[in-house]
Amino acid sequence: MALTAIDIYKLLPKTNCRECGQATCLAFAMQVAAGKASIDLCPPASEEAREKLSAAAAPPLPKVTIGTGEREVVLGDETVLFRHEKTFYHPTAIAISIRDDASGEEFASRLAAIRRLSFERVGQRISVDLVALRCVSGDPGRYARAAAAALDATGLPLVLLAPAGPLAAAVEAVAPSRPLLAPPPEDLVPAAKLAAERQLPLRVRARGIDGLSVALADARAAGAVALVADPSPETPRDAVTLATSLRRLAILGRVRDLAYPSAFDLGGGFPDPFLAAVLLVAKYGSLLVLDSSDPADLLPLLTLRQNLFTDPQRPIQVEPGVYPIGAPSESSPVIITTNFSLTYFTVRGDAEAAKVPAHLLIADVDGMSVLTAWAAGKFTGESISKMLAGCGIGEKVTHRTLILPGMVARLSGKIEELSGWRVLVGPQESSALPSYLRRLPPAAFLPVHG
Amino acid sequence: MSVALPIPGFPGRILAVTLPAGPGGTPVTVGGQNALPLLPEGEHPNAPAVGMEVPTGPLELPPALAEAIGPFAGDPVAMARKCAGDWGARFLFLSLSGCHPDAGGQSVSFGAAVVREVLSATPAPVIVGGCGDEEVDARLFPAVAEAAGRPVFLSYAEEKNHRLVAGAALAYGHGVVSWSPIDINMAKQMNLLLADLGFPPDRVLIDPLTGGLGYGMEYTFSIVERIRLAGLSGDAALARPVLCHLGDAWKAREATDPSEGTWGDVGARGPRWEETTGLACLAAGADLVVCRHPSSVARLSGAAWR
Repeated sequence: MALTAIDIYKLLPKTNCRECGQATCLAFAMQVAAGKASIDLCPPASEEAREKLSAAAAPPLPKVTIGTGEREVVLGDETVLFRHEKTFYHPTAIAISIRDDASGEEFASRLAAIRRLSFERVGQRISVDLVALRCVSGDPGRYARAAAAALDATGLPLVLLAPAGPLAAAVEAVAPSRPLLAPPPEDLVPAAKLAAERQLPLRVRARGIDGLSVALADARAAGAVALVADPSPETPRDAVTLATSLRRLAILGRVRDLAYPSAFDLGGGFPDPFLAAVLLVAKYGSLLVLDSSDPADLLPLLTLRQNLFTDPQRPIQVEPGVYPIGAPSESSPVIITTNFSLTYFTVRGDAEAAKVPAHLLIADVDGMSVLTAWAAGKFTGESISKMLAGCGIGEKVTHRTLILPGMVARLSGKIEELSGWRVLVGPQESSALPSYLRRLPPAAFLPVHG
Repeated sequence: MSVALPIPGFPGRILAVTLPAGPGGTPVTVGGQNALPLLPEGEHPNAPAVGMEVPTGPLELPPALAEAIGPFAGDPVAMARKCAGDWGARFLFLSLSGCHPDAGGQSVSFGAAVVREVLSATPAPVIVGGCGDEEVDARLFPAVAEAAGRPVFLSYAEEKNHRLVAGAALAYGHGVVSWSPIDINMAKQMNLLLADLGFPPDRVLIDPLTGGLGYGMEYTFSIVERIRLAGLSGDAALARPVLCHLGDAWKAREATDPSEGTWGDVGARGPRWEETTGLACLAAGADLVVCRHPSSVARLSGAAWR
């Protein structure tokens, strides 16, 4: 477990020498415990203290990387079991499989389908991360050519699912792209030696936690360092249980010998792979291999991943600006709210439900809800007037009437005074927007003259 | 050699709550567990229950729903029979949305009559949902409580209306769904308020507000996890079964828009959207989920293991 300030204090010289910049050793210990200072700032610290502190500072689940550059995929390096405790840092990586025995045309169209599994959502791009190449042919030459072709066509890092012979051939072809070697259990030792020699990550597959405990030791003995653990479950339920056990061993148990990112091959006849994939995105899967390339499967899966791997302490923000609801005209209502994603989704959903075209102004308040932003002084008469003048809404409508969230009705006077816009106080709750909008008299949005 | 697994033990236990059935029906009991969901540890006397929504009033169904439930959705009695029969819903969520002034404006007495008819058409356990208009619901809940010929749950009691809803439920022996807006403190506060009114704790379900996938689902996921961990850790006011209504999944453009070719077939995508939302809720600890698509009932029931 992480060391407390008192644990750290006991390891310090306790001389209050101030070389670290803190008034006392205890104050410094508190900084270190909070992760705000490093033991390196304490020159008189003993070697023992340094070792203990850096061991405690190491993440309970080590980081393993696959691929290089922009497409590098990071697995593991997590510190908590529940996202509300802090956050999850590295999203479950999704690999889509392709067979090396596919004909040239099939192979190319499958790669094209994988490349298309990339979607734009709330200003972010969400995509599958890797291509998993299954060796079905058994032919090292064919497999190596397929690996090079897959890398060339997609630019995505590879998971090489192959026996030792083809694996070695593919590594010759694509080693600089840092693929993940994923041999069958019986070829673990030669593959581990290859991984050690080429400094590549290795997936270790064995049955259950006990099986992994042995296989991971074998892989380490062969010199492989960057390991990913596949407990080869038989059912989705088994998969969730094993993923949870692995994560708990790392985080609660601090069992170093089993603290590795997890990997699951949900292709090749695995029962109900979609169910397993969803549950493993929610519960501790680090890398999933899927056979499906249907966007109707991948869009929900990648969206769930996007949701769960956002930092719960940092609200998702929507790009501030003017958003059309339906096809608004120059006499459509203008509604303002804040750029907290939930606020935006709720208001947009309710405004759309009204079936009244409108302009939705999203104010930049650092992702706070209406009331919070008001309390923090970010959603004010001044900021709203500034937005009305600067966002271009004045050119989109001929009227000058703004619908303000009912919660901040008190801002009306200031806005009218500063901006010259007339303010209509909208409902307190967004859910009342549909009936509110439908009951607005069109006369409210007549052009202003002069 | 066997690896010792660190399995967290919890001092608390989630209260078991039963949704009563009519004569010949099967009641639904959820809760009773002293461990986290989906894992073979601790005791899980009851599996999560998957139910289905029976809508009322005029509907605009997205393509996937129109195809699956369109022929029945306009007739609550036929829909209720179908849900509890062929589609395998273990309970029904009868939504009186048709009583909303903007969604049909059915009268309160009409709403109460629908409840009566549905209850006599099927013995399945029923939760009756209000229409969401404060003023109408204030008349609707007492009328429903009186009209229901057997015990149901009323959804929902919130801070503003809890005296009225809980009072109506108490008078006629019904349960309530205790609602809060993705806020663990409010969820707790609501249950304390209900306790102050003398409401029996084993007739309360927590509705934490369920955001749809892509539109706030992560907030619900974490609130459900936090409620469950608090309950298991001994906070009695939060040691209650959690209900997630997946309706918001169908508000997502991704679930309903047929025009985006690169998103895959909307007929498959819509149910997947609801299923994914529901699975995330189950993984977080939900004890009851309410679906709109029959395939979600089947898919989620398959995952609702003890």
